[in-house]
Amino acid sequence: MPLDYPTHTHVLSNGLRVVISPDHAVPVVTANLWVGVGSRHEAPGRTGFAHLFEHLMFQGSRSVASGEHFSALMAQGGRLNATTWFDRTNYFETVPVGALELALWLEADRHGFLLDAVTQENLDNQRDVVKEEKRQRYDNQPYGNALADVYAATFPEGHPYHHPTIGSMDDLDAATLEDVHAFFTRFYAPNNTVLTLVGDVTEEHGLALAEKYFGHLTHRVEPPRGRGPQLPPIAAPVRVDRHEDVPNDRLHISFRMPAEGADDFLAASLALDCVAGLASSPMVTRLVRREQVATTIMAHSMGLIDGSSLGLVVVDIAPGQDADAVEAEVATELGRFVEEGPTEDILEAVKAHAERTWLSALASGEERADLISQYTLLHDDPDYVNTALDRLLAIGPEAVHCAAREWLRPQHRVCVAYLASESPEQEEAA
Amino acid sequence: MSTTSTTDVTGPARPSVQPPTPWAFPAPSSDSLLDNGLRVLTYDVPGQYVISASLTVPLPLSTEPRAVEGIASLMASLLDEGTTSHTSEEFAALLERHGIAFSAGVNDGALMVDVDVPLRHLESALTLMAEALASPVFPVDEVRRLRMARLAEIEQERASAPHRAARELVATLWAPYERASRPTAGTADTVAVITREDIVDFHAERVGPEDAGLVISGALSGVDIEAVLRATFEQWRAPSHTPASRPLAPEVAANAARVIVVDRPGSVQSEIALGWSGPDRHAPGGWAPYPVIGYLLGGSPSARIDAVLREEKGFTYGMRSSFRPRRAGGLFLTTGSVRTDVTVESLETLTDILDPRGLTFTEDEVRAGVDFIAGIAPGRFATADAVAGEAVSLLLDNLPLDFTTTNREATMALTADDLTSAYAGIAPERWCIVVVGDAERFVHEVRDLGLGEVTVVAN
Repeated sequence: MPLDYPTHTHVLSNGLRVVISPDHAVPVVTANLWVGVGSRHEAPGRTGFAHLFEHLMFQGSRSVASGEHFSALMAQGGRLNATTWFDRTNYFETVPVGALELALWLEADRHGFLLDAVTQENLDNQRDVVKEEKRQRYDNQPYGNALADVYAATFPEGHPYHHPTIGSMDDLDAATLEDVHAFFTRFYAPNNTVLTLVGDVTEEHGLALAEKYFGHLTHRVEPPRGRGPQLPPIAAPVRVDRHEDVPNDRLHISFRMPAEGADDFLAASLALDCVAGLASSPMVTRLVRREQVATTIMAHSMGLIDGSSLGLVVVDIAPGQDADAVEAEVATELGRFVEEGPTEDILEAVKAHAERTWLSALASGEERADLISQYTLLHDDPDYVNTALDRLLAIGPEAVHCAAREWLRPQHRVCVAYLASESPEQEEAA
Repeated sequence: MSTTSTTDVTGPARPSVQPPTPWAFPAPSSDSLLDNGLRVLTYDVPGQYVISASLTVPLPLSTEPRAVEGIASLMASLLDEGTTSHTSEEFAALLERHGIAFSAGVNDGALMVDVDVPLRHLESALTLMAEALASPVFPVDEVRRLRMARLAEIEQERASAPHRAARELVATLWAPYERASRPTAGTADTVAVITREDIVDFHAERVGPEDAGLVISGALSGVDIEAVLRATFEQWRAPSHTPASRPLAPEVAANAARVIVVDRPGSVQSEIALGWSGPDRHAPGGWAPYPVIGYLLGGSPSARIDAVLREEKGFTYGMRSSFRPRRAGGLFLTTGSVRTDVTVESLETLTDILDPRGLTFTEDEVRAGVDFIAGIAPGRFATADAVAGEAVSLLLDNLPLDFTTTNREATMALTADDLTSAYAGIAPERWCIVVVGDAERFVHEVRDLGLGEVTVVAN
């Protein structure tokens, strides 16, 4: 089914890229901003800073009081938030159409004039909030730091994806007000930002509003760091063991994959889904359904732009089964898939699954706006929302097989094992 | 003072907000009762290319035999694991080849089955959905596998602080003879003894089209739904099915107002769950006040709780208050986690903020809360999935199909007095409180807070 979501694209004289996608089905508009800064831009000793900075964007700006961004828009029936990830930071709100101008005014005030309001008190408060976020989501969760271990083992020291977006407690403690000023000045500017409007607004009106509220921002930044060369696959298997108080053994098996943007990433993600992503994938059929040595296996690909993406297979080991033996069986299934390639049936299923998840993502204005911003900021391709499925569906079994051979061989894996058993030293001490 | 920002440029003045345009929850395009007793609603939502079909079969959890509690959840998870026409592996492959997302589960009062599918595979999806409901065979291998998976999941829930807190809260809040006091999906000892025969019998007796509801939502214009239904759901027969009677609201335990500390030595945070019984959507005086109250107390960073515990003190990433209606009765719940060394101060602040004695809402708060709750509706119900979910919940709760619209209108008419008296009507002076954390570091001081008897239990 060809998709035809409109994506009217303009660049303001200050460099702000504006995409307007009218959809008059309901009287709401999503305003979504992607800023080209994420944890991959963080300096050594300042991990977690891009995310801490994102929190400060809600603590007031030149004409907006602390907390007012949330309260003013929610009082109009707006839903809003912001998130930080390796490659970007996004800010978004979905508001009744009558509150669109207020939303744009609030966004422009903080994206232009945050530094007029930022204080040591706000920094200290949000540092505490972020530390509680880290404790809640990572440190006080079983397996909570597994992905951080995966990033550290999959990407070399010094690589932009070596550390997680949440950062470390020490680095959060070290952040200063000077860092906030320098970070804003270095990264936050119209020419490093995309504004997408999806919803009950016309192209003309949306563009006029973007010009009205963002046109006077004149700050410019140098282009952020370029993208590193593609990392090759891991040469030999890597294994990291964590002995923790977890309910069952769990393996996190990761692979480097092609950077997001070209079809080779799509082919590699199709390959990963074929081998382990669906209930009818061969690895899942044998290890979960037939032999029942794992209770669940899940796989997904994390598209990233700076020299590598990440493929991840998470395996929950069934009670009484040996984690090492299951890892060996996972490797066997990977090897078999690399040897044989996808069957017609599994590739058809993976593509049907991809089609539904893509259409489901586009079903809401919020997610549609986020995807438009993503592909505009990172790939200069606002129309990707319409062309993605055609590109994906055109990838044939040979390309999927080829991607598997290049990226998913068993020797290319990293395995981070969270083990419920005590470590050898602990057993000796006990 | 930094001079690097562009503060010399003046921007436009703060704009005013235009009044919201009128909005109503969509009316169904069709509403029919099949010969087998299944009610079917369709909603044509243009532009929604993924169709959502949601089915609900009234099934109060209290109908589960005590010894095999969790059987309803396990039965639900086995519906797509093999039928009289397809093996488990064939069924999984069929779903996936047609891009169908199939999920089934139970809540306090019903079996819920949901399907999402691109329009061109709708007929296949409804065929498989009806097959899963009408003729599952519950293969013994799959029963063993999913029983094991559920037992593993119980251990994972025990390890997760929010899950552990929720389990202890319902066990303490509801009277011990209430099904609501025990986990929806059963405990390790009840799940472990469930057999295939138990599940076959339970399904035959409890799952059928009579009194059930199906909602199909999405870009349905031009689709001959009636023909698809004739070939699929109209064929559903369940001769042994006994439709369930309506459930009653669970009763609160005699000693519910107390504090349980689930001890986790070394925990870096304390997970707090504080609750009491709440209304369902048939509440006398209307449902409208409760979502607004939940929002004002704990629904945003500027709500009363987070304004203090997050934005002023930095103790938490955020705490949330909400009303959770059941088919009958409900729960008012406040949850979140705080740094271990501020557990006592957080509990004191939290119970102060929520204390109904003398609690009043201001007109400004009411405006902000009402505008939020009423204002989010158009965006919230913009997708096929959200429309189907809302409509099927109306069917299950025996609410009129314009409830969403009339309740929104009632919300917009709320006054501060309405909220104040609604809160006074449900909030106790002392709460049922669970804290999951390192007991040794705070339990003595918690005893001094006067929140009721304090008991420490093992994780």
